[in-house]
Amino acid sequence: MKRKKLQAFFLFALFLMPGILVAQTAEEIIAKHIEAHGGADKWEKVEALKIKGRFTAFSLEKDFTSYKTKCGAYYSDLYLGEQHVFEGFNGKCGWTIDPWQEIEYARNINSNETNVFKQKAEFFTPFLNYKKKGHKVEYIGKENVDGDEMFVLKLTREDGKSEKWYLNTKTYLEYKCEAPWVDFAQAVPAEMYFDDFRKVDEIIVPFFIERIFWQRDRITQIESVELNPKIDKSLFAMPKRKEISKLAFMEGDWDVKLEFMGRRGTYRDRGNTESCIKFASTNLLQEQISYENGFPNNLSINFTYDAGTKKYRIAAFNDFTSTFDMFQGELKDNILVMEDTQVSYSDKPSATRMCRQFIYTKVDNNQFTVENKISTDEGKTWKPQARLTYTRKSENTLSKK
Amino acid sequence: MKKTNLLFTICALLFSTLLNHASAQEAPNQEWNQFRGANRSGSTDNIELMSFTDKAPKLVWKKKLGDGFSELTISGGNIYTMISVRKDSITGDEFIAAFDEKTGNEVWKTRVDNMFFDTFGDGPRSTPAIGEKNVYSLSSYGKLSANSKKDGKTLWQVDFMKEYGSKIPRWGFSSSPVIVGNNVIVEVGGTDSRAFMAFDKKTGKEVWKKGEGIATYNSPVHGKINDKECIIFANGRKVYSLTTAGDTLWTYNSPISNPTGMPIVFDGNKIFISAVRNPGFIVLEVNNNKATEISRGTSMKNDYSSSIYHDGYVYGFHVAALQCISVKTGEKKWTKRGYGKGSLIRIGDQLLVLSDKGKLIQVKATPDAYTELGNIQAIDGKSWTAPSFANGKIYLRNLTEMACYELK
Repeated sequence: MKRKKLQAFFLFALFLMPGILVAQTAEEIIAKHIEAHGGADKWEKVEALKIKGRFTAFSLEKDFTSYKTKCGAYYSDLYLGEQHVFEGFNGKCGWTIDPWQEIEYARNINSNETNVFKQKAEFFTPFLNYKKKGHKVEYIGKENVDGDEMFVLKLTREDGKSEKWYLNTKTYLEYKCEAPWVDFAQAVPAEMYFDDFRKVDEIIVPFFIERIFWQRDRITQIESVELNPKIDKSLFAMPKRKEISKLAFMEGDWDVKLEFMGRRGTYRDRGNTESCIKFASTNLLQEQISYENGFPNNLSINFTYDAGTKKYRIAAFNDFTSTFDMFQGELKDNILVMEDTQVSYSDKPSATRMCRQFIYTKVDNNQFTVENKISTDEGKTWKPQARLTYTRKSENTLSKK
Repeated sequence: MKKTNLLFTICALLFSTLLNHASAQEAPNQEWNQFRGANRSGSTDNIELMSFTDKAPKLVWKKKLGDGFSELTISGGNIYTMISVRKDSITGDEFIAAFDEKTGNEVWKTRVDNMFFDTFGDGPRSTPAIGEKNVYSLSSYGKLSANSKKDGKTLWQVDFMKEYGSKIPRWGFSSSPVIVGNNVIVEVGGTDSRAFMAFDKKTGKEVWKKGEGIATYNSPVHGKINDKECIIFANGRKVYSLTTAGDTLWTYNSPISNPTGMPIVFDGNKIFISAVRNPGFIVLEVNNNKATEISRGTSMKNDYSSSIYHDGYVYGFHVAALQCISVKTGEKKWTKRGYGKGSLIRIGDQLLVLSDKGKLIQVKATPDAYTELGNIQAIDGKSWTAPSFANGKIYLRNLTEMACYELK
């Protein structure tokens, strides 16, 4: 019985043996690879990198600047041919402004691009702390590439996408990588080549990286690497569109004074409420506000800018009436005039229809007003109905809240 | 006195005969009168260049030039090429133009079409063919023109889109015409079996038409296969071999799609064809008017730059890596990176490689190893046009300027 157990143990151990050997080999190669890059201790002290150099795309060489952080954030300002491109990634999701795609504003990146940005965010080698990052590595074997013997490692990221890395058996530095890449946001396989390794302080980085995918060729020639630079973290955040940014004076937490028009033609105080206005997306400013006018009204007001018509739009949902209302307008000299004269929900024009207008006026950085008017002659004349005065909450009132 | 005169005349005649004989021998190599030069091979033989490190190339001149990627053709003391000149941000003109070979100064320019605009680079891609008296060019919008070499006067013009229903390819009409006997032959991409056509050199009248398919970026090769004169076209996924009269010798359904690089005829009956998509390249062998694929591989994927064949090896840009492969086995002999999507020609036993950013590199045409003999930053900016070589000088062009360097 004992003997059988022993046999079973040895059989089981034998079954596991190749895996153990392979794992050890991969570990050993990676350890030497990290050592070749300056050593784990040196890299441990690196919190962020600022990389400057020349980037070539479509045979045009231009300056670029990139930032990378230990937590996987990445930002780059580069030229792709003649087009100025910006990229940002916070470690999980990212954005790009790429005029090649005829989109001049920041857009969210897709899943293929996310994988590429994860690669771009690496401190050159993905094998640094690869287990912590959730990467899995498998040793494939040795291969001759362009006359030199290479260790071939398969690296699989958390998202399941894998890369094949070729490390020179003499130097343990990377020579080539085959990885999924993107071209115009579409997945394509790519080959990368690394050369011109230089010492920066005590770490070793490749100053020449050539990437080939499809018939494209991209060359990164690094000129300087700064360790642990000061980084403005807002760099990684998705930039708002230029036009919606002009409404930033409305962003914040507000005390709102309500005044409704009385019978005598003067505004009457109807108490106070609160409003919270924040950017929810690159082209979306959202307001949540509640007030009572007989019954409670909870409003969700969405501001956007339509590049096609070059006008601002409001889509407001009132849970009391349970309807969406649309308004459109322009911003001039910090006064946003929105109305629904151009919006119709009926096929036939109505002689009795009532149009509404909202005028947002910036007073200063801590105050703006909204005046509501109505018109029964399709906007020829307007009658005031209500006025809301927004005053920015102070730190004290915010903390109380 | 009479005896002296007679002796002088005999000597002069002998000298003249010797001189004529020598220049006749060298003539084919001394001009670069069509796309890829003599035989469209991108090669010139019987010339030995000194190493750049022993004798640095000497700049003869550098001139601004209208936008374009058309190669510089050199004949009879002039450079002929196609250029475009912008009027404003959306309009401009395309020209066939002549420049003095010695100075780079404009001799004449004649408008052939509207300017072709593109985000990757404006201007014409096609290279003119130089005849005895005239120059033949294909504009970006598909107008084949004949112009007098002397003064640029337009002798005739054929509009492919109007006459033959051709459609403009993404990068504009880019095929470079070839002169064969009394005809100019070029890819047309027209309807009703007008993929390729021959036109009378003198009149521009249609001589023959053949083949199916839209206009691509391939230029016809004129050469000999099994000692028979023929024209090779590779468009879409088909390779055509035609007689100079337009009769089909054979066709081959090719796995190579829309090659832009020139097919290379070598060893008397073999053809190397490469494109950037898989499989990369194939080699065809032609026997008894039947083409058979004898090898294929992924080690050479030419994009818009054509490869060079020399002594059993192909040298070319595998996308953006300068590479040497065995044409027999496809085995990669060496690779050199860093020149982007450059171009190359062969002068004797040397390769003259132009990087996509205008660096001119002299490399030994040997499979043994990448051996650089020297380099100079010859021209700046986007340089996608292959060099031309004539009379000991190399002529380079980037998107907006051209330069001449003396090499011997």
